[in-house]
Amino acid sequence: MSEGSMAVVKPEMKSYIWLQTADGSIQQVEEEVAMFCPMICQEILQTGMGSSKNYAISLPQRVNPATLGLILDYCRFHQVPGHSNKERKTFDEKFIRIDTKKLCELTSAADSLQLKPLVDLTSRALARIIEGKTPEEIRETFHLPDDLTEEEKLEPLRNITDDPRIRLLNRLYARKRKELEEREKLKNVEVEEEHVDERSVDDLLSFINGADGDSKARSSKTKKKNRRRKDQSKESSSNNLNENHKKEMDTCSSASQNGEVKGVFIASPAKISKLQESMSATHSPKPEFDDMDIDDDLDPAMKEELDREVEDFARRLNSDWPERMQEILSRGQERRLVSLSVNGNGSLCKYSGMDQR
Amino acid sequence: MGDVETQDLISDLPQSIIESILTRLPIRDAVRTSVLSTKWRYRWASVTHLVFDDKCVPMYYDKGLLEINLIKFITRALFLHQGPIHKFQLSTSYLQSCPDIDQWILFLSRTDIKELVLELGEGEWFRVPSCLFNCKKLTRLELTRCEFDPPLGFKGFLCLKSLNLYQVLVAPEAIENLISGCPLLESLSLSYFDSLVLNIRAPNLKYLCLEGEFKDICLENTPLLVAMSVAMYITDDIAEHFEQSSSCNFIKFLGGVPRLERLIGHIYFTKYLSIGDYPRRLPITYSYLKIIELYQVSFEDMKEILVVLRLITNSPNLKELQISGSSNTLAAMEAPDLDFWIEECPKDCTFEKLQIVKMTDMSGVPHEMEFIKFLLANSPVLEMMSITPCVYVMDGRLSMLIELLRFRRASAQAEILFIRD
Repeated sequence: MSEGSMAVVKPEMKSYIWLQTADGSIQQVEEEVAMFCPMICQEILQTGMGSSKNYAISLPQRVNPATLGLILDYCRFHQVPGHSNKERKTFDEKFIRIDTKKLCELTSAADSLQLKPLVDLTSRALARIIEGKTPEEIRETFHLPDDLTEEEKLEPLRNITDDPRIRLLNRLYARKRKELEEREKLKNVEVEEEHVDERSVDDLLSFINGADGDSKARSSKTKKKNRRRKDQSKESSSNNLNENHKKEMDTCSSASQNGEVKGVFIASPAKISKLQESMSATHSPKPEFDDMDIDDDLDPAMKEELDREVEDFARRLNSDWPERMQEILSRGQERRLVSLSVNGNGSLCKYSGMDQR
Repeated sequence: MGDVETQDLISDLPQSIIESILTRLPIRDAVRTSVLSTKWRYRWASVTHLVFDDKCVPMYYDKGLLEINLIKFITRALFLHQGPIHKFQLSTSYLQSCPDIDQWILFLSRTDIKELVLELGEGEWFRVPSCLFNCKKLTRLELTRCEFDPPLGFKGFLCLKSLNLYQVLVAPEAIENLISGCPLLESLSLSYFDSLVLNIRAPNLKYLCLEGEFKDICLENTPLLVAMSVAMYITDDIAEHFEQSSSCNFIKFLGGVPRLERLIGHIYFTKYLSIGDYPRRLPITYSYLKIIELYQVSFEDMKEILVVLRLITNSPNLKELQISGSSNTLAAMEAPDLDFWIEECPKDCTFEKLQIVKMTDMSGVPHEMEFIKFLLANSPVLEMMSITPCVYVMDGRLSMLIELLRFRRASAQAEILFIRD
């Protein structure tokens, strides 16, 4: 290897370094340019490789030929001591105006070659690209998979350190998730219910025509009243809830006692008690950590979605009621009414006694 | 190879690069990356530099709401953070003293924090909690508008390299002890103190910046000092104190800084240095001193001129000199002691390396002109001297120019620039 590359040397006598990229292709580059790269410099000094084609220096895998070309351009400019700071800055600004994919490859390659100034430059450029963008835009720019489900976005953080604060956070998240699940379940239940209800119309008809209509009518009226009362006073909803549960239980049991109705059974106690539980859970004194705000930090778009869902569901049920009532009254039928309440937290909780086949 | 077009470009970069990118983003954008994809869920949470400012939360007209949101944001971010935090910076003009800041500092004191910058808003100053003094690994501390009260047993920050106190309420002994208790201290900046009396003992100190009303400063042990910038505001009672003291301020300040490379003295600095009796022969040479900037030098006070001369004649490697005058023209025109320049002025002293001289706010008073003459005659490698007249001087400019023309120049390539405004 010739020394004195800094001294005046005839062009034919300039020395070159041979570099080999992971795909096998070999490039030759002026020595002073290659020496600007710490990793290559180290290789040359320690192992003496690179002086000929056969002993080309193998570059790390992350450096492909196109990226190597870019890096060498960078080195070629910056290794010249004569440039002013302003000139260097201008060069840098122009240099990073490449497409995002190349920029990422360049960052990775510069890092593996330990070229810190270039890593800083590209990191800054990438930060500038990310800054101010929405998550969707960022995903699009970098081809990131949108593989977090809604629930995952609420998922508790990994508790690596068994930190009590993280445990608290996880508990809050678990509760939130449970609510979400309940909602899902209730959605399904409601669908089921309607389905089931249609089928048991005949049953009801026969039952009504044959059985003690008054008590039923009474109970349904009281139920209606309770429901209206509940809608007005949301605070005391849990009390009404329990009350109604009891009433339903009573009427159901009385119905079964009558023995005329086939296949009438109340919703499994387990389910109701679970619902009761979640009701009481949401009514327990809130921790200082405001649930709604957790959503804020995670994804405001998703929170909106959830709110919309809630509203939709409420509207759907509420709008069904008038028609149903008409139906029921005109047919003289009787149905176990589906009551719902919306508690202060905005989450829905449904309880019902149901006829099920 | 797969579908190259849709391949994830960035998530597989090494953690150090991701951290480098996330650190360069405003903290709000960094936190939002947690919803990008599974790989990005926790990446922001292990960033070791956290920088918070008023832009973290959306701007509201309601200041109270903004404060609350800012507090919530910072609390949550710290709560969700994993791993060590090396740098924490909070610069806000809305947030003032509040209990949450105490809790944050408590949290940080458990995370091996190295750099802490706290800049709070106007209003009630925040009283720094005692847990701050438990941050053993602190290398940089910057406080603005705080009350600083070290507990009794506090010995100092053993790793502290940079200390910056700006408008901080602290007992003078506490500062002295703090400085002495930080053996690695390299950079010290104290701004806006009242009547401070200070003995600075910092064997590793390289950079010193003082601004405020200083009654008495003594650089007792600062042998490695490289750069110094001092702005003194002298009130009446400080001036009184000076009249009664007899110690030589020049020695107290510049007596122990042989490695000084750059000296910047703002208003009243030369006056401060001129106080006290000065022993005839100064044994110290400032061999490394290259740049001197002195502002508001009063050329009607002979003592101040002596201070300047002393400085520049004992700096053989002086390269750049900048002086701004503040002469009361009427008083200066009396011009006593002009003989000094002929008789007592140091002869055969050559400024061998002096290349650039900038004289600003010149009123053209006799001492100023003599000084310029002195410089021109003794600077063989001078390249440029620029003279900017004081804005109040209109009539005297022509005579200034005429005088300037006559002065002998030791340097053939010296350019004299007279700068009109």
